[in-house]
Amino acid sequence: MKRSKTIIARATGLLLCVLISGFTVLAQHTGQQGNTQKQGTQKQGKSKSTQQKSAHQNMKLTDPEIASVAVVANQIDIDHARLAQEKTQNTEVLNFAQTMITDHQAVIDQATALVKKLNVTPKENQLSRKLQTDSENSMKMLRAKSGSAFDQAYIDHEVTYHKAVISTVENTLIPNAKNAELKALLQNILPSLRAHLEHAQMLKTQYAKE
Amino acid sequence: MGRKLLTGMLLAVLCPFFYLQAFRGVSENARPKTHMVQIVRMQFIPAVLSVNKGDSVVFLNKDLVNHNATERTAGKWQSPTLRPGDSWRMVVTSSADYYCTFHPGMKGKLEVARATAKTRKKK
Ligand SMILES: [Cu+2]
Repeated sequence: MKRSKTIIARATGLLLCVLISGFTVLAQHTGQQGNTQKQGTQKQGKSKSTQQKSAHQNMKLTDPEIASVAVVANQIDIDHARLAQEKTQNTEVLNFAQTMITDHQAVIDQATALVKKLNVTPKENQLSRKLQTDSENSMKMLRAKSGSAFDQAYIDHEVTYHKAVISTVENTLIPNAKNAELKALLQNILPSLRAHLEHAQMLKTQYAKE
Repeated sequence: MGRKLLTGMLLAVLCPFFYLQAFRGVSENARPKTHMVQIVRMQFIPAVLSVNKGDSVVFLNKDLVNHNATERTAGKWQSPTLRPGDSWRMVVTSSADYYCTFHPGMKGKLEVARATAKTRKKK
């Protein structure tokens, strides 16, 4: 009786160990993928990008600046989706791109309506400019690819990009937003960003299987 | 000992509920009901809905973006594109797994209650 208990305890311990190490490997793996993607899209050198990263975590943004970042971030995903519509032959990638265009346009429309109502003019800033520069780089990288190489690179970009945008909305835009309606809108767009990320990850797993 | 007592008590509490439920089944069969599935924050709520055959389900989009509801296995039925604020009514004839074709992670289920008063008695 006592012995069987210890065996059960040991087995549980072992199982937990395996599970935990499995998760750690998985987490490291996804982290690495994100890093390689970033290195691919911005070749400006490591020190600069780490500086920028730490800079925008405690970045102070006004509501007009947040509005600008929100519109730019959504527009960038629409631009990438339009490029995908031109280049891909894959129905699932095509459907994904169409959803990106419709959803991100809906968010831009909501943001624009709110900005009008609040009588605020979106103001360009360091973060919105950085998003633009990164976007130009990734668009250039994608334009150079075709066929299934394009599809994979596009879906990889969408996974990385949505992760980055979710983190920006959660850690920078929402904490900085002063107007309650703007804050609420930012909170309301998080579920769709997460659904897009999940959708992109699903397509990515399909590629891995093929 | 304690476990037996607990099960007994649980059964005692639930029995009248099942009994009533059986009669409800009968009356509901006679008069179809209308149920609501709301689409909020990229989810069908409730995700699982039990209905009787012939009941109606209204899908209401209370989200920021467009959605639809599409039967999963054979595409037996599909709502039109539901823009924010749109709704769509459907009469349920059989159980179904459904999803949103725009957002494949959004899933829901309609369960047509099979147990009528008669089959319940057999149990
Ligand atoms: Cu949807």
